[in-house]
Amino acid sequence: MINSDGPGISLRLEAVTKIYSVSGEDLPALRGISLSIRGGESVAIVGSSGSGKSTLLHLMGLLDRPTSGELYFGDRRVDSLPPTERAVLRNRSIGFVFQNFQLIPRTSALENVEMPLLYRGMPARERQDRARELLASVGMGDREQHTSSQLSGGQQQRVAIARAMAGSPGLMLADEPTGNLDSRSAATILDLLLSLRDRFKTTLVLVTHDMEIAQHLSRTVRVRDGRLEGPP
Amino acid sequence: MTLVLLGIRSLLKNPYRSILTSLGILIGVLSVVVLTGIASGAKALVLQSIANLGPNLLVVIPGSVTDSGAQVGGGTDTTLTAEDARAIRSQCPDIWNASGALRTAAQVQSPHANWSTVILGAEPSYLPVRDWRLARGGFFGDQEERGMARVAVLGRIVASRLFGLSDPIGKFIQINHAPFRVIGILSSKGQSPMGMNQDDMVVVPLTTLQSQIMGVTYVGVILAAATSPDRIGAARREIDGILRLRHHIPPDGRPDFEIQAMSDIAKTAGRLSLILTVLLALIASISLIVGGVGILNIMLVSVRERTREIGIRMAIGARPRDILVQFLSEAAALSFFGAMAGGAGGVLFLAGIHLAVGWPTPIPWEGLLLTVAGATLLGILFGLYPAWRASRLDPMEALRYE
Repeated sequence: MINSDGPGISLRLEAVTKIYSVSGEDLPALRGISLSIRGGESVAIVGSSGSGKSTLLHLMGLLDRPTSGELYFGDRRVDSLPPTERAVLRNRSIGFVFQNFQLIPRTSALENVEMPLLYRGMPARERQDRARELLASVGMGDREQHTSSQLSGGQQQRVAIARAMAGSPGLMLADEPTGNLDSRSAATILDLLLSLRDRFKTTLVLVTHDMEIAQHLSRTVRVRDGRLEGPP
Repeated sequence: MTLVLLGIRSLLKNPYRSILTSLGILIGVLSVVVLTGIASGAKALVLQSIANLGPNLLVVIPGSVTDSGAQVGGGTDTTLTAEDARAIRSQCPDIWNASGALRTAAQVQSPHANWSTVILGAEPSYLPVRDWRLARGGFFGDQEERGMARVAVLGRIVASRLFGLSDPIGKFIQINHAPFRVIGILSSKGQSPMGMNQDDMVVVPLTTLQSQIMGVTYVGVILAAATSPDRIGAARREIDGILRLRHHIPPDGRPDFEIQAMSDIAKTAGRLSLILTVLLALIASISLIVGGVGILNIMLVSVRERTREIGIRMAIGARPRDILVQFLSEAAALSFFGAMAGGAGGVLFLAGIHLAVGWPTPIPWEGLLLTVAGATLLGILFGLYPAWRASRLDPMEALRYE
């Protein structure tokens, strides 16, 4: 039933809530979300700022833990794993693309792309070859040694995408990937993400507030005030 | 291993801070190495000057004068005589040789110059007892001793002060206006452990000094050489027995003399300098600890500053352990390179002291190794807390950190 088309990871959230407590006061960000995403599906999560859509993405990416509810990757429950196992899962199964790129400063594009493979313990030569290949595939082959401060926003995001793809993840999570880019770069980045998804049959979840972008994905999920809107 | 390289690489991205941070450890290690080097040099100097005196040597000095109930101090009495020295020489089976000696200060003149120095009256056996050699000429024998001959053997310094570069042997000097013929020059012996320069003196026959210069019959000291270092205890008991007998002191009475063994003094000096070395090393270690605190400080700042980087690494899949190892190897590398540089600096510093002042500054290789290893360990210990904090960061909060 799940994991139907391709090697992408299928996701299932059951009554997930997230409550932040700020100076003793409880601020609910997610008020019970149940959602299934098939393997290889491309889903846009849309909503206004503060709706909880980013929180939802972070929970899926195991960067954060839900306050209650359950999260499954395929049949495996992953919401309550210890930090080390979550790190290993992030490394092997998840690729992140952030709004503000999140490249490591003073570090070359090549090293940034090598990073996920390094934490996997891949030997240096193999790692470099693979990182070079990936940079070339996102059109950054001629800027391997540039650091983030020497790259434009669009270029940084391309390096970030190459890094997210480095570990051949089953799940790509993109948090407003075009939010900091001009419209022309934004179009290129979106094309790149979608073409990579098509090529590797990765599951793609993309958070945006832009309905224009959401239309390019196979399904749109609306979040409002910590709840899903419309048919699940 | 890759993670360790990662740590070192991030140090290179901030070279100034890295150098300044290791400077604390560098100075700590440098001061430990230099101070222990100097202390062990001082110890070598003291032990060497004691060895110069002869390791088998026993020194007999007269007891203290009691002046209306107050003791004036050891060595002030006039109870020892040349006959005591002769008895020790001939009757103690564990004494190889002995000589009475007496000293006074006097003005000495040559035809061209004069010099104020120490006149030592000694017996012919003085030279072998002190294991001292002549540079030139000869020493006086029993005949001159018995005849109260006016002959003199000059120390190096006296010879050069009175005669410059010309040969003094056969020439005459005047001691308190009495002429003495120079028959020999002593080889250079340097400072005595009591701080006296042994090359600045004139040696004359004991009898000559007693009767013709000072007008006394006692000796100031009796030097006796034991047959071997392990017979020093037995030799001491024999001297004690003979002197008690000669001075009519019962076995339980207070003796009017004191016997000191150079080996005991050497042991005491050795113990003292060990205490000195440990003390100096301890003081220097404090600066090492200050260096370690510097590493703690900078690593804490660095973890805070790089919170977002840590968040990114975690998002990409760095396990808490990976982050820990990365930051720990940064601290280790900082302290290791600091310690190595400090050790190298210390060795250069000691060599410099040796060249500049001429002190023996043996390089304490074992201590050096220990200090470098200890300082590295210290850096790792102080790096543990910041690295642990880095590894415990929440990935989401770290990513949001500005």
